[in-house]
Amino acid sequence: MTTDSSRRMIELVHLARNYTRADGQRVSAVDDVSLIVPEGEFVCLIGPSGCGKSTLLQMIAGLVGPSSGAIVVDGKEIDGPGRERGMVFQRDSVFPWMRVIDNVEYGLKCRGVAAGARRDIARDYLKRVGLSHVERAWPRELSGGMLKRVAIAAVFANGGEVLLLDEPFGALDYVTRRQLQEVLLDLWEEPGRAVPTVVFVTHDVDEALLLADRIVAMRNGGIVDDIAVGAARPRDTDTLLLPDMVAIKHTLLGHLGLAHAARAPAGERGAA
Amino acid sequence: MIGVSRQQLVSLSVFAALAIGWEILASVYTVEAQPGEPMVAGWGTLFTRTLLSLSDYWQGGFGVPAVADGAARSYPAALLSIISHSLATLSRLASGLMLGGLFGLALGLAVSWSPWSRRLVQLPTQFLRALPLLAMVPLFQLWFGTYFFGQVLFVSYGVGVIVFAGVVNAVRTIPQIYIDNARVLGASRSHLYRTVILPAILPAMRSVVLLSLGAGWGAVLAAEYLGAQSGLGYIIVYAQQFGLLDRMFLIALLFILYTSASYWVIERLFTRLLAWSPSSQATNQ
Amino acid sequence: MFVAIWELASVFVSPIILPGPFSVLQRAAADFWSAPALSYYGVEDPSLAANLAYTAENVAIAAVIGAAIGVTLGLLSARVWFLRAAMDPIMMTAGTVPILIAAPFLLIWFGVGRASAVSLVAFYIVVILYVSSQRAALNLDPIYENSALTLGARRGRMLRDILIPGTIPEILGGFRIALAGAWGLEAVSELLGSQSGIGKVLEVLAGATDPQGILATLLLLGCAAILTDGLAATLIARFAAWRFAGS
Repeated sequence: MTTDSSRRMIELVHLARNYTRADGQRVSAVDDVSLIVPEGEFVCLIGPSGCGKSTLLQMIAGLVGPSSGAIVVDGKEIDGPGRERGMVFQRDSVFPWMRVIDNVEYGLKCRGVAAGARRDIARDYLKRVGLSHVERAWPRELSGGMLKRVAIAAVFANGGEVLLLDEPFGALDYVTRRQLQEVLLDLWEEPGRAVPTVVFVTHDVDEALLLADRIVAMRNGGIVDDIAVGAARPRDTDTLLLPDMVAIKHTLLGHLGLAHAARAPAGERGAA
Repeated sequence: MIGVSRQQLVSLSVFAALAIGWEILASVYTVEAQPGEPMVAGWGTLFTRTLLSLSDYWQGGFGVPAVADGAARSYPAALLSIISHSLATLSRLASGLMLGGLFGLALGLAVSWSPWSRRLVQLPTQFLRALPLLAMVPLFQLWFGTYFFGQVLFVSYGVGVIVFAGVVNAVRTIPQIYIDNARVLGASRSHLYRTVILPAILPAMRSVVLLSLGAGWGAVLAAEYLGAQSGLGYIIVYAQQFGLLDRMFLIALLFILYTSASYWVIERLFTRLLAWSPSSQATNQ
Repeated sequence: MFVAIWELASVFVSPIILPGPFSVLQRAAADFWSAPALSYYGVEDPSLAANLAYTAENVAIAAVIGAAIGVTLGLLSARVWFLRAAMDPIMMTAGTVPILIAAPFLLIWFGVGRASAVSLVAFYIVVILYVSSQRAALNLDPIYENSALTLGARRGRMLRDILIPGTIPEILGGFRIALAGAWGLEAVSELLGSQSGIGKVLEVLAGATDPQGILATLLLLGCAAILTDGLAATLIARFAAWRFAGS
């Protein structure tokens, strides 16, 4: 729901990122992308492999510098990574040499929050992601899904205005993925604090439809579509069957290169 | 663009800088340990006078008389002395490696036959491995003498312990699935050993062999330092007693050449042998 | 069982060549605090304990120096390409050549005394820890650094929070291996030229054709090596618990 009075949280201005391949060819990972994300919006970046969505996210995070163009977050041009733009990675990023609770506290510790206060905050978020019982565990003792919860808890506990997720649930099984989507939405919609602006990269169309207010489709380094998802929350699998959603899904599948002509009636289906 | 990377350029220049630095040092630091014997000999001196002086170690034969008998120093004598002493050292190393390797392998495989025997030897093996190898030179000299037999036995002991422990460990960590697969296909016990176990431990044996090569060189050198009558280590220690640093340095360079070459050969061998292995250890880096 | 075989063997072979295990143990205990016979051969402190202490001191000093230099160079070389290109070929060559090759040179430069032995062992440890640290730092997944940055960590925290905790297990592993070889190297260095230490004792006893004494001394040396190995293992268990499976 974007209104003119909404604060522009993320602004990408003619962003581009080029690489020179080993054989000397210049490749454009991100090609002249401009985008405005208002405060509190949940945006999904979707596209086929190699379309540049991950690179774009890394640039917003400040881990990769742009070849040209600017990234403005909350009115300030960014210069490298920072705690206001928290990130959840696809691979396990939880520090294996710290216990779970220390991992969740880490951002707060960097900021200088007092030991007692940060422990309370960390415990609170561990409770919200359902991991109170493994507070003192080592990361190597946890499953992939649990590690992802720890990573999410750590980022939320740090309280950034922007949240970036790079295919965070891609390596997990279906059931865990659905559970974690719930966990993410619960934390995102948490009452009593400012709603973070989320940019979520995925190649899973259903996931995008379940989570996003707005879906931005990318292809070959550029934005090819920008679709608002109006369905009411909370959403579930039945929501995906609504005609509006199905239409969006078809459009997105087309952008992903998976579109196919409408199926022939039963009688004419020969050798499929 | 030349095929040489930045890194290789820096590495080569470091070696070049060291060589040049050595030459500069030789001309600046002319202190002599003995009259006429410079402490730091420049490259020119090394390959002329020092090289010639090595003929002192030639016992005579092949038509080239020994310096000890009053003959003059000569390049042929020097060359012959280098060859004969190198052969002495290398033969000790090779014999020790083969003896220790074979024994270690055979014993290791035998012990792995049953888990009972494996557990039995675990403690004594750990104890033997903990005993510092190089400290045992005097013991071996006492028991087996300071000649070829004793030296080879010492080297093979050092190598054998490493290979034995390595083989037992390697057999223990073979993925059970390969063994199960062979059994299900009808392999007998001995056939299993030959066709599954030996190839399966090859990747692990690569590091074991390299380790024992290192131990072997160290053992040979220690044995030669402490009581041999021939060999490169003998020359170094003998020269050291007279402060003949230039000779020591020349022989040391030769020694470095041999050890590097031996490692290179073994690594090439294993790269060939392990061409099938998916592990990244088998690829050239 | 090993002891039983040994005892059996010693029955068949004359005690001049292979003394039985119990007599060796007795000898080790007897000579531990005071062995006046040694002073006859020119050993400075006539007791096994004193010489063991001398050897142990040298190993300890070499370990500290070697670790400090080796780990620093290794970690830096993983991040500074120039340093790596310059040091790697030297370290790799040094890794193939037995470090003993340097011993006679050090004896001439530093004379007979602590310095030559300590520098030899220290150099050995530097090479091993250089390789371990470099590999550990290179293998450290860059995702941890990135994650820390997005959580708000400043660059200055990286060393303390990420690089060191992340590389400690592998470095400690290398240290344990280095320690094992260090004992032997120290003993040989003393054998080549020293006035004190286990190596000197061994040399003296060998000259006196005393296998019982030699075995007793080796036994003590072995125990010392096993002890330090156990200490290293405890360190690993304490600081690398997060990495290695086990209770």
